[in-house]
Amino acid sequence: MSMPASDGMAPPVRKRVFKITVLDVVVIGAVAVLIGYLIYRVNTELVYHWDWSRVFEYFVYYDEETQSWRKNLLIEGLIILVRICVWAAIFGLVLGLVMGVCRVSDVLLLRLVSRGYVEFVRNIPPVPFFFIMFFFVGNQLLKPLDLTALAQGASPFWQDVFLVIFGETNLLRNFAAAAIALALYEGAYITEIVRAGIQSIERGQWEAGQSLGLSRYQQLRNIILPQAVQRIAPPLANQSIQLIKDSALVSLLSVQELTFMGNEIQATTTRVFETWLTVGAMYFVVCYGLARLFARMERRMGRGRAT
Amino acid sequence: MASTVESTTAVTGATSAPKRAPWIDLAQFVVLVVGLFYLAMTGANALNYNWQWYRMPKLLYRVIDGEFVWGPLMEGLFVTFEITAWSLPLAAAIGLTTALLRRSNSFAGRALATGYLQLIRNTPILVQVYIFYFVFAPMFGLGGFWACVLALSFHEGSFAAEIFRAGIESVHKGQWEASDSLGIKRADTYRYVVLPQAIPLMLPPLTSQIVTLIKHSSILSAVAVFDLTTMALDQVAETFMAFEIWLTTGAIYLVVTVTLSVLINLFENRIRRRSQR
Repeated sequence: MSMPASDGMAPPVRKRVFKITVLDVVVIGAVAVLIGYLIYRVNTELVYHWDWSRVFEYFVYYDEETQSWRKNLLIEGLIILVRICVWAAIFGLVLGLVMGVCRVSDVLLLRLVSRGYVEFVRNIPPVPFFFIMFFFVGNQLLKPLDLTALAQGASPFWQDVFLVIFGETNLLRNFAAAAIALALYEGAYITEIVRAGIQSIERGQWEAGQSLGLSRYQQLRNIILPQAVQRIAPPLANQSIQLIKDSALVSLLSVQELTFMGNEIQATTTRVFETWLTVGAMYFVVCYGLARLFARMERRMGRGRAT
Repeated sequence: MASTVESTTAVTGATSAPKRAPWIDLAQFVVLVVGLFYLAMTGANALNYNWQWYRMPKLLYRVIDGEFVWGPLMEGLFVTFEITAWSLPLAAAIGLTTALLRRSNSFAGRALATGYLQLIRNTPILVQVYIFYFVFAPMFGLGGFWACVLALSFHEGSFAAEIFRAGIESVHKGQWEASDSLGIKRADTYRYVVLPQAIPLMLPPLTSQIVTLIKHSSILSAVAVFDLTTMALDQVAETFMAFEIWLTTGAIYLVVTVTLSVLINLFENRIRRRSQR
C-alpha cells in the first residue's frame, strides 16, 4: 500500500468534468417542481399579493416634517441586536475565560463549580434557561438596584452615553437582565472553548514551567495562555456568530431587537411572508458576511496551525 | 512583604502542593450551591413572593375520582417527545441526503446542499421556526405541528449532514477503490460498502442529537405548539407562579436530558466494545 499518508482516509471524489448527470436533472427538476407548486399555491390558492414596499419602508422612511430620511424599526432592531451582542460578548468572554481556567484547575472545588455551570447551561433548553435567568437576574439582582433611576439621575452627558451603549433608560433593567442571561448562556460554550484550548497545549510546556520554578498561576499566565489564545481565536470567532443567532431568543424576553421588530412589523403590516423573509435575509447577510470574514482572517493567520 | 508570601506559595505550587482531601472540596461545593439557592429564595421572600409549591403537583398529575390524569406540564413533555420522535428520523434523512449530494458529481446537487447548509447555519433557529410556521406552512397548507417538526428537522439536518460527512469520509480510500475495481456502481458502493461501515461510527453522535432536539424543541414555544415550554409559559400566565413553574420545568428538562445522556454513553460504550471484538 503506497499511498500518501495525508489523504489515505479520504475517499475519492470522482473527477469533476463539467457535464450534466442524471442527478443534475433530478435535482433541478425537483427544485423546479417545488418552486412551481409554491408559485401556484401562493398565486392561485392563497391569492397572496406580494408587496415588498410595505416592509422595506421599515428600513428607512422619509420624514416629511424634517425633510430627511430616518431609520425605522428594522435598522433600530439591528442596532439593538449589535448592542446586546456586544455586552453579552464582553461578559461572556470574561466569564468563559475565568470558568475555562477553573475547568483545568488543580483545585477540585473550582473544577466542580465550572463543570456544574457548564452542565447546567448545556442540559437546560435555551428558552427555559433564558426565562429562569431572566426572572432571577431581573427580579432578584437588578430590581433592588433600580437601574433606571440610576441612569436617569446621571448628568446629561452620561445620559447621552448611556443612550448609545444601553439604549433607552426606561428599558434598562429588561435590557441588562437579557444581556446577562445571554452572557451566561454563551459563557458556558466559551468555557469549553477555553478549556479545549488550554488542554491542547502539550504537557511538556507545563513541565518546563514547573522545572523553572514557576507557580501554576505563572505557568498558566506566561506560558500556557499566550499559546492557547492563538488556538482559541478561530472557535471564538465562530462562537460570536452563534451569539448573534442565539440573541434572537432574547426577543422572547421583550428586548426589541431584530426578531422582536419582525414580530411587530408582521402584526402592523400583516405582510407576514415579506417580513419574515426580510428578517431572515438580514440575519443571513450579517452572519454569512462575518463567517466569510473570519474564514479569510483565519487563512491569513496561517492555515492548519489554528485547529 | 507580599512578595515573600507569593514566592513561598510559588515554591509549594511548583512542588505540586499537598492535595486536599476531595471531600473538603465537595463539601465546599455543596455549601456554595445551597448558599446560592438560599440567596435566591430569600431574595424572592424579600420581594414578598408568595411561594405556592403545594400547587405544583397539580400541574404534573392529578387523581380525579381515583382516575389518574396527567397535568399540563407532563402533557407538554409528551408533545415534546412526540416532536422529537418525528424530527429525529426526518433530520437523519435530510442529513444523509445532504451529505450524499455534497459528495455527488452533480453540480446542481452540490449547489443545493451547500445552499441549504449555508442558509441554515447563518440564520437563527427562532427565525427559521417563524419562517416555517408563518411562511411555509400557509404556502404548503401544512398544520402548525408539522411546520414545527419540519423546522426542527431542517435545522437539525444541517448538524446530521456533518455527522454523515465525517462518517463517510472516515471509510478508507481502499474500500472505494476495491469496489471500483469490481465494477460496482457508485450508488451500490454507498449501499453495500461504504454506509454499512460508516453507520456504526455515526450512530453515537446521531443519538446524541436527540438531546439537542429536545433542547431546541423548546424554541418552538414561540409559535403555537403545545410542548413543555409552551405549557410552562401558559401556566405562568395563569397562576403567576413564575419561579416554581420555571424551576420545575427546568428540572424536568434536566432529568430528561441527563438521563438520555447517560443512556447514550452506555450505548456508545457498547458499540465501542463490540467493534473492538
